[in-house]
Amino acid sequence: MKNKVELLAPAGDLERLKIALKYGADAVYVGGPVLNLRANAINFTFEELENGINFAHSLGKKVYVTVNIILHNQELNEVDKYLKKLSEIGVDAIIVSDPCIITRAKKYNIDIHLSTQQSTLNYEAVSFWKKHGVSRVVLARECSREDIKLIKEKVDIEIETFIHGAMCAGYSGRCIMSNVLTNRDANRGGCSQICRWDFNLYDENMKEIKGDMPFTFCSKDLSMLKVIPDMIDLGISSFKIEGRMRSVYYIATVVSIYRKIIDNYYQNIDDNEYNNYEAILRNCANRDSTIQFYNGIYDSSCSYYNGRLEVSNQDFLGIVIDYDKDSCLATIEQRNYFKKGDLVEIFGPNHNYVIEINEIYDEDDNLIDVVRHPRQVVKIKVDCQLDTDDMLRIKK
Amino acid sequence: MKLMVIPNSINGIKDSLDYVDAFLIGIKDLSVNMNFTVSIDELGSILDIIGNKELFISINKNLSNDDIEIVKDIMIKLNEYKVKGLFYYDVGILNIYNSIEVSYDLVWASEHAATNCDTINYWNSFGVKYCMVSSDITIKDVYEIRNKTSCKLIVPIFGYVSMFNSKRHIVKNYLDYFNLNDSFKINYMEKEGEVYPIIDNKLGTTVYTNYILNGIIEYNNLKNNGIDYLLFNGFNIDSNKFIDVLKKVKDINSDNVLECYEYINSLFDNTSTGFLYQDTIVKVKKDEK
Repeated sequence: MKNKVELLAPAGDLERLKIALKYGADAVYVGGPVLNLRANAINFTFEELENGINFAHSLGKKVYVTVNIILHNQELNEVDKYLKKLSEIGVDAIIVSDPCIITRAKKYNIDIHLSTQQSTLNYEAVSFWKKHGVSRVVLARECSREDIKLIKEKVDIEIETFIHGAMCAGYSGRCIMSNVLTNRDANRGGCSQICRWDFNLYDENMKEIKGDMPFTFCSKDLSMLKVIPDMIDLGISSFKIEGRMRSVYYIATVVSIYRKIIDNYYQNIDDNEYNNYEAILRNCANRDSTIQFYNGIYDSSCSYYNGRLEVSNQDFLGIVIDYDKDSCLATIEQRNYFKKGDLVEIFGPNHNYVIEINEIYDEDDNLIDVVRHPRQVVKIKVDCQLDTDDMLRIKK
Repeated sequence: MKLMVIPNSINGIKDSLDYVDAFLIGIKDLSVNMNFTVSIDELGSILDIIGNKELFISINKNLSNDDIEIVKDIMIKLNEYKVKGLFYYDVGILNIYNSIEVSYDLVWASEHAATNCDTINYWNSFGVKYCMVSSDITIKDVYEIRNKTSCKLIVPIFGYVSMFNSKRHIVKNYLDYFNLNDSFKINYMEKEGEVYPIIDNKLGTTVYTNYILNGIIEYNNLKNNGIDYLLFNGFNIDSNKFIDVLKKVKDINSDNVLECYEYINSLFDNTSTGFLYQDTIVKVKKDEK
């Protein structure tokens, strides 16, 4: 059997790291304290990183750390000390965009994955990186199926591709709109996502060109749900889910669905649930998705014109923080309003149930009908065994 | 310190011959953000026009597998012409360059990644002799880079700056989606009164800054620090005004830099020093940990 493809999930903090791994990711990628492209996320401290790495390794899984900014002179002094520390705490690889880090990382025997920020689209470029110390290349999201196939045929190296999540409108690393419009540095972690803004569009005579919705660069999300078997056949080593700033629910939902699809493929199980998966994922992200460049078509069907009318997701009802077998009561931390009589899907790494909520108790064991307060802790009666970190979502 | 120009047309080359030292020309279907491009067969006539001026070629699109053999062929053919250097974006070009024997040099022209001395030295160690520094770093960074690399440095000093490149047809997709018509070669997008040129063509979409970079105020320092080339981009600039700029800079000396800078400002209503004196912000939130 071929080496099984790795499912690689984002983790914005230690909680999400653990959720991602518990829900089926083989590896996670995270941002450390410095030098990563999510400067405005919370990110990991060294202590949290070490905890996360130990947790992952205890499960036989991996942690990759993004060191993926484009460095300015002033940041160069931080690099060696940082890489040394990452090496000491046992990081499995770093994800690098600026090649000056490659030379330094070699000193500390750290495995190097080349970031998608390098926008690698061809076998000559992949070949160069292989010769010069990179063990894995994260291909540009603009690669088509045929591009990936030929690269795999021509160069024997681990290839990682994105399978799910948001897309840059431009070539990664080749956009400084954020710098120019907001002074926030896109290539050093400050991207203000100008490609999601609306603009007025004019012709060369400054006559306005106006459609029913404003002009924007915004693209639909990426979802490779239906082509995962084909992608596995291409010999891709790692499937990456985008979204280090996403919620635990998003991580758990996306990871568990792709885990199932991948496992079914290797076990030769026909999976007839794709439409259901698609609906869940769509609700989870609140955005349309396509396979983007994979089929070589990147016309207006990949663009997203909705006037920024996204509504927040309210499917996620709560997370299980305890389950008492004797009383069959699950302790839930609420995330969205739910009530007695709701039909609810409870999913986790080990099971998936649909139940109707019949009994809800507050913290003082009073029977209540609705759970309306954010983070409210309640107990609900569930006859089947649940585990900590199982999640509840409304059944549609 | 030499002056290099990205011309708008063949006439633009002819008109600027007396004022510049080098030209940067794009190759058809392989160069983005260039005002006009030529086929490899047309290079001979370009060389006839420029005479003893230096010719640099730009192949700066993100290359797909389909481009590789075409690019390799062109890179070999370029050696037959008197080409000084090849501007490249894609690392694939460096890999090809190291597998063929040619006499011209490579110019690392990443647009936004030549931001520190170590990375420039990294490419220099693979035989890349020139580097176009990023237009989104401060002049202080440029000088620090100069002090710490032996690579020849090209500094963008005048013109609109490319700030976005995409394989997608951003304008065409919008027009198609809403059944709108437009056959113009250039569009403009506007936000809060600021206007940005946007070009959607066969190779995808490029967006430029709302301002015309004018960094001539730094002329003396650039020269004294040993910068090798200043790059002037004629994109979307009135051809007569562009020649005026080049003429003025040709006559620049250590005593009239401010006058030259102000003269250029007076020609346009949207000049800026860009990021020369303004570093970008990385973190906007107070550290939560």
